[in-house]
Amino acid sequence: MSARKTVIAAFSLALTFAGLGVSHTQEEVRIVVTGSSTIAPLMMDIAQRYEAAHPGVQVDVQTGGSSRGLSDVRRKLADIGMVSRALGADENDVAATRIAWDGVALIVHAQNPLERLSDDQVRAIYTGQATRWEAFGSWDGPITVVSKAEGRSTLGIFLDYLDLDIRDIRAHTIIGDNEQAVKVVAGNPRAVGYISIGAAEYHASAMTPIRAIALGAVAPTSANVANGSYPVRRELNLVTYPDPAAPVEAFLRFASGQQVHDLISDHYFSPASD
Amino acid sequence: MHRNLRPFVNDLVVRAAVAAVVLVLAAIVMHVVTRGAALVSWDFLTTAPRAAGRAGGIAPVLVSTAAVTGVALAAALPLAVGAAVFLVEAVGPHTVAARLTRGCLGVLAAVPSIVFGLAGNMIFCDWLGFGFSILAGGLTLALMILPIAACVAETTLRMHGEDRRAGYALGLPQRRIVWSIMLPAAAPGIFAGLGLGFGRAVAESAALIFTSGYVVRMPDSVFDSGRTLAVHILDLAMNVPGGDGNAFATATVLLASVAAVVALFTALDGKQGRDFV
Repeated sequence: MSARKTVIAAFSLALTFAGLGVSHTQEEVRIVVTGSSTIAPLMMDIAQRYEAAHPGVQVDVQTGGSSRGLSDVRRKLADIGMVSRALGADENDVAATRIAWDGVALIVHAQNPLERLSDDQVRAIYTGQATRWEAFGSWDGPITVVSKAEGRSTLGIFLDYLDLDIRDIRAHTIIGDNEQAVKVVAGNPRAVGYISIGAAEYHASAMTPIRAIALGAVAPTSANVANGSYPVRRELNLVTYPDPAAPVEAFLRFASGQQVHDLISDHYFSPASD
Repeated sequence: MHRNLRPFVNDLVVRAAVAAVVLVLAAIVMHVVTRGAALVSWDFLTTAPRAAGRAGGIAPVLVSTAAVTGVALAAALPLAVGAAVFLVEAVGPHTVAARLTRGCLGVLAAVPSIVFGLAGNMIFCDWLGFGFSILAGGLTLALMILPIAACVAETTLRMHGEDRRAGYALGLPQRRIVWSIMLPAAAPGIFAGLGLGFGRAVAESAALIFTSGYVVRMPDSVFDSGRTLAVHILDLAMNVPGGDGNAFATATVLLASVAAVVALFTALDGKQGRDFV
């Protein structure tokens, strides 16, 4: 094929795409949801169910993190932001709808016989004062400390509970998502990390070699997260500007209602009681 | 070292290097395919994802991937060829304009992909008002693959300097030399550059999460958001507990399609195909 023909072919292809776009009529209602990568897979399922029940409405779910969800709502790039933490006092320009709870627990490798760590012991591990497992009894070797990247809401909950500042943390591995923490700890018998209780429960049932350890005294189970007895938990929120448009409000009602509780449980979160 | 041993040792070193390259690729392919191939079926390729991708297939993801890379290659081709022709024909190799252009391409090549994603989100989604769309993702990728495509195109054009001088000796006008002699002669190299760019584009996730987005619905047009294979793999592996199986299956499909495209680019120019990628 000659270069000229190929160039023409490429241009035609581009024009065809552009033409398809222009001819596409925009009579549908489109709701854009962006934010927390923790909530995004759940929201995708909720959106699919909502679209099936409401023809003519499209719910586009995007991801990128809680801070992004907030800033996209403020820049009007999104109708709804997903924020996997409680809103701060300086964030009262937006309204939050709580859809679920997510508990945070420590995880260690399944071979690690440790049953419990006190808050002070966790603090010692994460500030670099305790560097070997021998200090806590029946396990040995150097501790590999896994922490999350700045901006992750799990990190925020963890620091809040332990009353630490991010600059106090001395971690060997900084990771982003829950699944990444699971992969690191499952591959290293001397590692410790912290993740969503829902994700920990899933992996315990899927025989991944990790074990959840409570932060505090209450057992880390979704039931205890839902009834509020487990203290280290975060809210999964949908945020909008106050008085959203009617289709957005209808979707918010759907996403915070009974009819999606099975999806919330499927994603290993605890539905917020309404 | 004894002198007679030298060729033998050199030979061994070269062979070891080749073996290392092949082994690394083989290990990755084996790891992915052994865990993913069994899950790839006709249904997997032709149905939409369900349960956040843990069940169902990847049909809309495949379509979005083809659309995003199509837009990227179509937009990068004229820019890359234009820049290369400019560097070869319009300015001397050591002029300020040439050095500036090459410098810009070099800097562009070194920009991390997440920065492309954020810049693409700002420029295409926000300022130009495309929103999260296949068009915004494709144009962002076009900027990413521009340096490599332009650089390979320029090198290939320079390789044909003799044809170019022959054209000028015959008194042909510049337009004719570029269109009828230089570009046809350099076409294999230009496509090789695009092939390399395709590899980078199809593997990209960070630049696309913020531009073409995360939506798994079948796209109607380039103004719809669409999730690509790499973004799908990243989400299944990182955000969805229980998504590993389909992540490996999707990775198998991605590897197979890259192999198919490389074969296609090779076939595009029969005799010189050996020079490709």
